[in-house]
Amino acid sequence: MAKVGVYVCHCGLNIAGVVDVEKVVEHAESLPDVAIAKHYAYMCSETGQSMIQEDIKKHNLDRIVVAACSPRMHEETFRKTVAEARLNPYLLEVVNLREQCSWPHSDEPENATEKARELVTMGVARVKFLEPLEKRRISVEKNVLVVGGGIAGIQASLDLADAGFKVCLVEKAPSIGGRMAQLDKTFPTLDCSACILTPKMVDVAKHPNIELLTNTEVTCVSGFVGNYEVTAVKKSRYVDEDRCIGCELCTQVCPVKVPDKINEGLSETRAISIYSPHAVPKVAIINPTYCLRLKYNACGKCVDVCEAKAINFEQQPKTIQFKVGGIILAVGSEVFDASKMPEFGYGRFKNVISNIEFERISDASGPTGGKIICPQNGEPPKSVVFIQCVGSRDKRFHEYCCRVGCMVSLKQAILAREKLGRNADVYICFNDLRAFGKGYEEFYERARGLDINFIAGLPSDIRSAADGSLYSDVYDRGINKLLEIHADLVVLANGLVPNSDFDKISELFRVSRSADGFLLEAHPKLRPLESPTAGIFLAGTCQGPKDIPDTVAQASGAASKAIDLLSSGEIELEPLRAVVNKDSCSGCRICESVCPYNAVEMKTEEINGVENLRAEVVEAMCQGCGLCASACPAGAIEMQHYTDEQVLAQVYAASLKTEARGGSPI
Amino acid sequence: MMKLAVFWGCRILTSQYAYEMSIREVFPKLGIELADLREAVCCGDPVKSINNFAADYLAARALALANETGLKDLLVPCSRGHFVLSEVNDSLTKDETRKRKITDLLKGEELSYDPNVKIWHVIDFLHDRVGLEKIKKALEKPFKGLKLASHVGCQTVRYSDLGRVDDAENPRKLDELINVLGAETVDYPEKLDCCGAALTYSHLDAALSLAGSKIKALQDLAVDGLVVSCPACQMMLDAKQKDAGTAVGAKLNLPVVYYTQLLGLALNIEEEKLGLHLNQSPVNQLLTKISA
Amino acid sequence: MSLIDLMSMAKPNLKSREKFLARLGGTELVNCFQCMKCTSGCTSLKLLELKPHEITKLVRLGFVDELASSDIIWACATCLKCVQRCPQKASPYHVIMALRNLAVEREANVPEAYLKAVSQILETGVTAPVQKVTTKKMEVFDRESLKLPKINAPKESFQSTFLKALEEKQ
Repeated sequence: MAKVGVYVCHCGLNIAGVVDVEKVVEHAESLPDVAIAKHYAYMCSETGQSMIQEDIKKHNLDRIVVAACSPRMHEETFRKTVAEARLNPYLLEVVNLREQCSWPHSDEPENATEKARELVTMGVARVKFLEPLEKRRISVEKNVLVVGGGIAGIQASLDLADAGFKVCLVEKAPSIGGRMAQLDKTFPTLDCSACILTPKMVDVAKHPNIELLTNTEVTCVSGFVGNYEVTAVKKSRYVDEDRCIGCELCTQVCPVKVPDKINEGLSETRAISIYSPHAVPKVAIINPTYCLRLKYNACGKCVDVCEAKAINFEQQPKTIQFKVGGIILAVGSEVFDASKMPEFGYGRFKNVISNIEFERISDASGPTGGKIICPQNGEPPKSVVFIQCVGSRDKRFHEYCCRVGCMVSLKQAILAREKLGRNADVYICFNDLRAFGKGYEEFYERARGLDINFIAGLPSDIRSAADGSLYSDVYDRGINKLLEIHADLVVLANGLVPNSDFDKISELFRVSRSADGFLLEAHPKLRPLESPTAGIFLAGTCQGPKDIPDTVAQASGAASKAIDLLSSGEIELEPLRAVVNKDSCSGCRICESVCPYNAVEMKTEEINGVENLRAEVVEAMCQGCGLCASACPAGAIEMQHYTDEQVLAQVYAASLKTEARGGSPI
Repeated sequence: MMKLAVFWGCRILTSQYAYEMSIREVFPKLGIELADLREAVCCGDPVKSINNFAADYLAARALALANETGLKDLLVPCSRGHFVLSEVNDSLTKDETRKRKITDLLKGEELSYDPNVKIWHVIDFLHDRVGLEKIKKALEKPFKGLKLASHVGCQTVRYSDLGRVDDAENPRKLDELINVLGAETVDYPEKLDCCGAALTYSHLDAALSLAGSKIKALQDLAVDGLVVSCPACQMMLDAKQKDAGTAVGAKLNLPVVYYTQLLGLALNIEEEKLGLHLNQSPVNQLLTKISA
Repeated sequence: MSLIDLMSMAKPNLKSREKFLARLGGTELVNCFQCMKCTSGCTSLKLLELKPHEITKLVRLGFVDELASSDIIWACATCLKCVQRCPQKASPYHVIMALRNLAVEREANVPEAYLKAVSQILETGVTAPVQKVTTKKMEVFDRESLKLPKINAPKESFQSTFLKALEEKQ
């Protein structure tokens, strides 16, 4: 015989404004095994919680039903309340009278009250079959894998390392630095990007707690939160990282020209070269697609000049394996390929460039030494036109706003004005101009003060006259005129887009993607730093386009989350797991095949001298989704806290088949 | 011999005879037999502005007439007709009620609408179905030293979501069809601009200005001629070239021909059979250059 | 709605708007955020001052009646550039055609040439009478002299069926 306490919350007027809470309490009192039923304005408040605790002691209650808002809001809260009163926290049932009752039925108070009564009946029926459960503690590795060495990965690594955690920072390019290393200046301060980034890059390289693996990619992740097993492959540089002194003599003698990736193909480098001007580590790398020695066993001039004897054409890729407690994904994003929008001529007209290409041109360490010139003839432009929202806010490509496009164009327009002086006309063709952050509106004002023309409208297309000059018709809705604008240089504000390898990332790290293609966070408002998979965190633009301040904030936040998770050396796991009844299991493996979390293992057991395959749920991996339990044809799997008995009790109470007057529904 | 049903529409049958003549001459030479529909009727293009339902009825009726021939492929040489017939399938798929009503109307005429007829334009039929190789092999008098421009028209390539004859922003099929005849083609900024034909119903001057601007721009490029593939475009750019010149204050002198007329010449078909004497633009300039 | 156009003193007509949007099958075709891409490339802007973005916004605000009786809706060249390039997949072209249909129903401002075409179709099945053409050399030809096959007019049932179709209210 259970002794159930039922507590109906008013939730201010959220519930009580629609549901007659007194009638619900009256009804609860009439249910079998209900020892006490009360209502109160805010059950989650201190007073409300104390009420429950006092009643548990006074009346020896052994089951609690709280009829209030969604369990997603306060189930944890009430579990703690109950636990403090020495009652097992899993003997609590939360009935949702708000999101599932008063809110959707706010215009039908009578029916809502009736429904509330039924929901409480169901809750009381179920709570009587709940069993006490214990959270399990497992030990965790106090180290973290950070994937991606852009500013997000760099910031997260430094925060973790400073907190005493060991960090393995894996970057697939030959150097860390990411997108920020490609920028000239940053908005809104116009700080030199390299100047604020490189000290952090050097800190990473020097930090005793950070193991930096560049030119490396993660190939396999197994295990579970707190105990991940990672396999990574360090690709061959064909240069010994410990010997190379970064003198670049090899680059000077290499005869093979290759497009320079860091400069977005606007310039050429050599088959052996250092990846970027501020590379960390400052070590050369050979591109095997172009190197004559690697392809045809010819040349080899670099070896002759290398005094450090660092070049090794026999170098093999290295497989590295390690264990970590948590993983931070900071894999960044890509830039929209504007050749998908042919009306703007990108790819056809040389003087139509993307914003990232402009950034390289403007950068003093870029292909033109920082001089703004037209790619077609190398001359400075007399007219520069920026076009916003290329590939973004566009249902044909990406529906979202890229968030940074407007600020980037404002910055680039200001730089163009500063470098070209009054000799050039600068235009920004925009739909909406978004300058939302700290100092951003002031930055917009700064641009307006520099005689930059803001054209309120987007062009339909860009055309090239016979002499190669570009022109475009744009309707400005501010003055209601169709303007023909001649441009020497057109800069497209291409948006940030999800990486083309996110499918691979998704599978590798078991992270989902949101509708826009970026990596999915656990909750868009309240949990932006974690993925729904325990122990995997997100930082930077891989979760969604954002600027540097937001990236850094998110990175530090993700690091803090990882520290939270791992600092005690132990974590608690929710006991809401699947459990296999080995006696009923036939070893058919259907559960293994449907489990999205790789949480089912098949174990061979000897029963009466015969070897049998039996399924076993790995507790730490199981997320309690219930797929295996429903898929099992033998009914051999039950979900803890959602056993057939517990669920059916609710169902029968709802359908009034078996009243909750005791008796198991099974 | 491949057999194709043909929906000519209105303009070709009542005034743009050269297009019909050149198609009837050229297609058999490429091994294609043409079958006319039992009657000549409008696709519904101008009726779209009057009553969308009645327009859909006409378009579905045209497809029903094609269905009657038992042939699976329908050639629609007019770009506007091609657009209208392509859109009706889309519109009737989305609106079950309308589809039912129209099917009932057609039943009353003992016709049945079939959305599965494959709708071809001259451009994609020749380029994709017949193929450039086959055309090349059939040529008897390929061109040399000719520089031409193509005008593929609006409704042949837009709007992409409907599935059109060629790419909306960079259409190349007509150019390639011209290249295979031995002529060079040039790109020009106004390539995707409209000839203005639809405006002749209400704003003739504006229509002529649009046509005139396009021809004027091409004349500045020193091309030997402009190639079109739609009777509406031909009407504006060839038949009304003189008036178009007046509208933009310029003397226009650009030879404008149907692609099938050009192809016919390369297949060594007589000029008269291709209706070249009916073109109003100075095609003799072009013909002289070709035979040079 | 609680607004008034102070230039014309016109108020939005929400009933007309709802009916019109129902014709369009919802609000997708007017899902415009005023980026100006359509108007920047509109074939009829320079010569006839057609601004597709304005049409969609006026519909959204409820000025459907004014549009239906205006001349501007007849200025569209049907080039379809606006449909092709709109980043929100709105379609000023389809909206304009629907406004034209509305204008016809209300017997407002319809260019005669369209009505002529319709009556020609009723009579002969095609939009224009079969013409004689004159070459530059002043020779006159017709289908027969050009050895083109005769055109068959549609069967009798066509006229009444087409008329029925024309009466369909949308």
